[in-house]
Amino acid sequence: MKDLRLHVIVVGLLLLGGMLLAGCGAEHRFIKKISFKGTNQIEIAFAGPVDEKWAKNVENYAVYEEPDPDILLNITDVNLAQGGKAVILTFESDLNQTQPHLVTLQDMMAEGRSMGTALLTVKKLYFGYLFSILLGAMIIKNFVFTKYLGLCVFFGTSQKKSTAVGMGITFTIVMIASAMMSWFLYQFVLKPYRLDFLQIIVFIGLVSLSVQAVDTILRKVNPALFKAFGVYLVLVIANCIILAVPLILANSEYNAWESLMLAVGAGTGFLIALFLMSSVRERLELANVPPTYRGLPIAFITAGLFALAFMGFSGMSIF
Amino acid sequence: MDPFLIKLAIGGLAVLGAIGLLFGIGLALAAHKFAVKANPKVEEVLEVLAGAQ
Repeated sequence: MKDLRLHVIVVGLLLLGGMLLAGCGAEHRFIKKISFKGTNQIEIAFAGPVDEKWAKNVENYAVYEEPDPDILLNITDVNLAQGGKAVILTFESDLNQTQPHLVTLQDMMAEGRSMGTALLTVKKLYFGYLFSILLGAMIIKNFVFTKYLGLCVFFGTSQKKSTAVGMGITFTIVMIASAMMSWFLYQFVLKPYRLDFLQIIVFIGLVSLSVQAVDTILRKVNPALFKAFGVYLVLVIANCIILAVPLILANSEYNAWESLMLAVGAGTGFLIALFLMSSVRERLELANVPPTYRGLPIAFITAGLFALAFMGFSGMSIF
Repeated sequence: MDPFLIKLAIGGLAVLGAIGLLFGIGLALAAHKFAVKANPKVEEVLEVLAGAQ
């Protein structure tokens, strides 16, 4: 058992390392680093100083987004930095940094010698991208407070902290299982056979399948946890976030890792929302609320205030 | 009818049927493997109780 855990950890670390390495890397020996800078700039760092005459000539650069090789991006300005060891390309419009960009440097000249032509890929660190999906689903585009999804379960189980946390954890587990299964089925079965119009039926089936599977397995493997989850496990089926995530995944071009991050983010975002709400509602029990507002009405007002507070995150971008 | 649509419909039936069958068998096996012996007396007592809650 211990051996198996060790294996899982080692494999996980290897995968993470691989993803990190995939994020950065310059393919030419004379190029040290290439990265996005600001919204409309690319910085290229060289191993040694380059000739100013070569560097200042815009003709020597060709930059395009990976999917469209025929659309060259317009470079308005080229600046030398770090004593000629770095070049900053400024573009006419903002770069779409979610796409990898290909940069061609024609016949690089350094101290009068030609260094050959370099073809470079510049992309954002993949890890950072995954993290931004996670935080986006969790906080910036929180499903409860910005999209108003899953409200019935949200109000139903946020009266006590313990039930809220239990529901949140159950929800996260079921969410990850069903989102990954539905991503797989959509990408490899529904899409190739052009059956994507059946997605809702299939996704609902998958959600109830994963709830039933977790129910059956947990009942035997961990009865204590099963008792703690109690009725919430079945309630998960009635939550619309769990159906929204597979539908979002079906509409976007996310790969397995990105889908996993979205599912984890949606689950933990729901957990956070439930925890915050239950903390407030526990205190509201002791507050002197006017009789007409007692119970659900004041809870709705609180949720509205939370939504206002979460609006403060809107439009934020990380990495 | 357009033969393409007929093909699509039959394909959809086959694929959904296959998915349903596969997962149904999977769930049945899981239920069999992780079966929990329930005490029949619990059920009987619950039957007799009022059951308002």
